Amino acid sequence: MKRALAGALLALGLARAALAQLPLEPGGVAQLPAQPGVHWVWVNDFSFFALPDGKAFLVDGDSGRMLGLLSTGYSFDALVVPHSGGVIYSPETYFSRGTRGTRTDVVTIYDTVHLAPLGEVKIPPKRASIMAMMAGQVLTDDERFLLIYNYTPAQSVTVVDTRARKFVGEIDTAGCALVYPTGPRSFFSLCGDGSLLVVTLNDQGRAASRTRTKELFDGLRDPLTEKGVRAGDTWLFASFEGTMHPLKITRGGGIEAQATWPLFSAPELAQHWRTGGLQHLALHAATGRLYAIVHRGGAETHKDPGADVWVWDLASHRKVQQISARNKVASIQVTQDARPLLFGCSFESNRLDVYDVASGHYLRSVEGLGITPGLLVTP
Amino acid sequence: MRNPVDHLMERWARDMARRVSRRRFLGGLGALLFGAATVPLLPVARGETPRPAAGGAADPGDPQTCGYWRHCAIDGFLCSCCGGSVQSCPPGTEASAVTWVGTCHNPGDGHDYIVSYNDCCGKTECGRCLCNRNEDDKPLYMPFKSNDYNWCVGSKVGIAYHCSTARIVGVAK
Amino acid sequence: MSARAPGAAAALLAAAATCVAAPPALTPKPQADYMLNCQGCHLPDGTGAAGKVPSLRTSLAPLLQSEAGRRYLVQVPGAAQSALSDAELAQVLNWMVRTLSARPPPQFREFTPQEVMRYRATPLVAVRAARVRLLGTAP
Repeated sequence: MKRALAGALLALGLARAALAQLPLEPGGVAQLPAQPGVHWVWVNDFSFFALPDGKAFLVDGDSGRMLGLLSTGYSFDALVVPHSGGVIYSPETYFSRGTRGTRTDVVTIYDTVHLAPLGEVKIPPKRASIMAMMAGQVLTDDERFLLIYNYTPAQSVTVVDTRARKFVGEIDTAGCALVYPTGPRSFFSLCGDGSLLVVTLNDQGRAASRTRTKELFDGLRDPLTEKGVRAGDTWLFASFEGTMHPLKITRGGGIEAQATWPLFSAPELAQHWRTGGLQHLALHAATGRLYAIVHRGGAETHKDPGADVWVWDLASHRKVQQISARNKVASIQVTQDARPLLFGCSFESNRLDVYDVASGHYLRSVEGLGITPGLLVTP
Repeated sequence: MRNPVDHLMERWARDMARRVSRRRFLGGLGALLFGAATVPLLPVARGETPRPAAGGAADPGDPQTCGYWRHCAIDGFLCSCCGGSVQSCPPGTEASAVTWVGTCHNPGDGHDYIVSYNDCCGKTECGRCLCNRNEDDKPLYMPFKSNDYNWCVGSKVGIAYHCSTARIVGVAK
Repeated sequence: MSARAPGAAAALLAAAATCVAAPPALTPKPQADYMLNCQGCHLPDGTGAAGKVPSLRTSLAPLLQSEAGRRYLVQVPGAAQSALSDAELAQVLNWMVRTLSARPPPQFREFTPQEVMRYRATPLVAVRAARVRLLGTAP
């Protein structure tokens, strides 16, 4: 009996070995295609409970799969992804002993296929440590110069030449914050008195001119949030109380304030509807539609997340769609293709939610993306 | 003329509603802290272990909660929960001298106090009692009124942010 | 619990509280304005932060020696872009000179609201360069 059983087991084992279909595996490292997917998104985690451990997750919105990660140092804001492709720029801060020791700031250049560092440019250890803002780091329109906002508390902008991969210099922006590109050789910063500082650069990346516009908004009564989005030649900023301020780039690189328009009707304002969040505006360029996170909260809730995304047509200023979010969101982003996805996330959870823009329907969630996911960047 | 008491209650209700929504920031602690948010109204919040108030009736509330009156524009981890207090940094950290200064209304004596929000620096985040309230907070282009800057920028030890204090430095009205 | 509580509500609360405690002494107006608009960076005694924030203790007196220096003190963004009215800003500047300057100039001519208004109308763009020109040094 015992022998019979042993024989049967042996036979079974041999049969199993003969039936094995899986090949032996060599191991290796995954690579990404040269062209990013149209529905990919970088979820930038400023990691507020562990600031030394900033990171960025690359996620495919169609499959909900995580594709890779970049490790981006202390007080991280967001990656800068040029349209020309091939590389990613990441302004990063490091301390030699984690949270102590010598501070080093660099722009790390990663390649988009291997998500590995190609090189770095050392910059002055001054980049602003702030709540994550898109306008903390931007490229000029021709993607030649990378501009980074500094705060020591003196205010300035660091210029990096991306072609030569060299630090060019620093531009004094005293009284004015952040960086908003307006052309291949120009940007503006928002100033505390409601004016803009308009800066033009020469081909070496040095300041060619710096001029202050007149006061374009009342920063004390109804400030504009710093979270503007750009529609072609117009920057759009929402005020705390829900007024849209379009700032048009003129031919000479100047700025012209255009007529403001209300995001909310009088009854909606009375019901305390306001915009709020960390990245509370998004834009779909081809259709001229503006997306904003809204909530009922009233005054001084300009950072509160919202459970609704309202959509306006930029040509008519009419609200054309309301999307109810499954979960509250503090940041939104929209892909720029013909069948766009809406991404939403919040620093209150570590989940990315994906919606179909056309129908407004919730599609899926991607869980476990760091600690406090902040800014969403589509490659 | 409206009844001032009605007006006050309505205002409190509104403030409370706002704070409750902010509490979600604290995830699972939300329910517990919702109780704590009523501290300005009641000496001891229901369902909570009584903690001594910072300064009796003249300084009502619990400095370990977000709803405490001095936290009206704070953004970060409360040093009271991290080994320090509302006015002092936890051991081994450096108080950043450079900071921003605002006013908060003290319901205990009806005065508006000038509050300095000094950050404590040199270690990783404390990670306890996260609180974000934005009364009179302004965008980054008005730095002296913005809680979105890491004020460890002014410390000698570097910009590593640990927690925030809310120190009384004057009386506005 | 904002600073802008309705007057009636504030009075009601004050009435309840002041039965037991003496009201705290109000901070003098120019000092309170200094606290809310300048002290965050320049510190309570005006020393600033070496290499980062200019010291008011040492830089006020030399700047007051010229019209260009007086203009700089009004036009520097921290002053010009503060939430203070021209009259309030003039008062804060005068308070700073008298209280924070290590060596107050012997014949200090006070700032007037008119002078502040005149200088404030033109924003200063190249702040760092202006400072180096006037004082020979960055912060």
